[in-house]
Amino acid sequence: MTTARKTKHAEFSEADAIEQAKQGNSEAFELLYDLHKRRVYSLCLRMTANTAEAEDLTQEAFLQLFRKIGTFRGESAFSTWLHRMAVNVVLMRLRKKGLPVVPLEDGAESDEELPKKELGAQDTTLAGSVDRLELQRAVEALPPGYRTIFVLHDVEGYEHNEIAGLVGCSIGNSKSQLHKARMKLRELLKTSRAEKAVKP
Amino acid sequence: MTCEQFRQILPEMPEGVCDAEQDAHLKSCSECSSLVSDLGFIIRESRLLQMDEEPSPRVWNSIEIALRQEGLIRPAGSPAHVSTGFWHWRPAWALISATAVVVLALGVAFNQHKRAGHEIATIQTPAVLSAVAPPAKARRAVAPEDRQMLDAISSRSPVMAAAYEASLQDVNDYIRDAEESVQRDPNDEDAQQYLMDAYQQRAVVYQMALDRPLP
Repeated sequence: MTTARKTKHAEFSEADAIEQAKQGNSEAFELLYDLHKRRVYSLCLRMTANTAEAEDLTQEAFLQLFRKIGTFRGESAFSTWLHRMAVNVVLMRLRKKGLPVVPLEDGAESDEELPKKELGAQDTTLAGSVDRLELQRAVEALPPGYRTIFVLHDVEGYEHNEIAGLVGCSIGNSKSQLHKARMKLRELLKTSRAEKAVKP
Repeated sequence: MTCEQFRQILPEMPEGVCDAEQDAHLKSCSECSSLVSDLGFIIRESRLLQMDEEPSPRVWNSIEIALRQEGLIRPAGSPAHVSTGFWHWRPAWALISATAVVVLALGVAFNQHKRAGHEIATIQTPAVLSAVAPPAKARRAVAPEDRQMLDAISSRSPVMAAAYEASLQDVNDYIRDAEESVQRDPNDEDAQQYLMDAYQQRAVVYQMALDRPLP
């Protein structure tokens, strides 16, 4: 964003922008977009692991929001409203594509081999040896169902009861699958670290 | 507590909270201690991924175009800026047609002032119209959303309605061409700007039609 645009935007509070957007003010729409685009896009990207798809979903989420902005009464925070809309847009897309949104307790992802305990093996912890890019890649490499739960809980901060409502699973399932997702991530990060150590 | 027991209850443990038995096990077991440390690292670092990325500019451009198409963005009050790219993009007659409407209206007003009674205002500017008329082409049906406005004008001034209809058809052609270009290459920011200019042109024609008093 240019300095001129930033300055202009500073004159608009979010509440003002919402009211102006309801009147059809294009600058207001743009301000609301600028304020929330990173959060929405990052959410879409983490959940789909695909930049083109994430951009389409970001566009769709904002369009849905702007179409309905006239109905926003301020009962909840605008960002919460937008975020929920974005999550639903992504989940609908995943369902349309036939990708697992809800990891099944007895489904394929649950049956994936989880890291076994290595008795007596010396193991250094991940902290200090894994950077954020590696973590991003590992999240992208997660199976879709694990990735959904992980992103919603650990990245976006949803509680298990909220996740259960969004994806249509039980709270117990959400907790169980989150743990498996984290364990899978740990495995992926350790593998990545080991590969890095081997490469010249 | 064994490692097996510890790992079974791990999913239910609130982050960073252990009871005495669990804590004692962690102090005595490097494996489980390493596991808890790694999971804590993953949780902490993941929160920082929340707003890490930014979408490309085309996302906003696409949103803005859609908002204008759906009429959710109201056109600016002042006459639309016509970008220099317009001349590269469309023949000049598309803009000249809109200007001709203004000339036409002035001509009509002038003649009405001169003539008295119920004489029908003659149009001094048929030459203007013919000189700037778009290249001969088959006239397309007027878009339904334009028909209502044109019918309202036509009931009072058929000539004015014809001029506005010509302008709207030209601008709608412009919009159609720009839309096709955007569809071909959604990342083409020039094409997106032209499309927005086209919508502005259309808004200007409407504004002129609705603001100008008719005979």
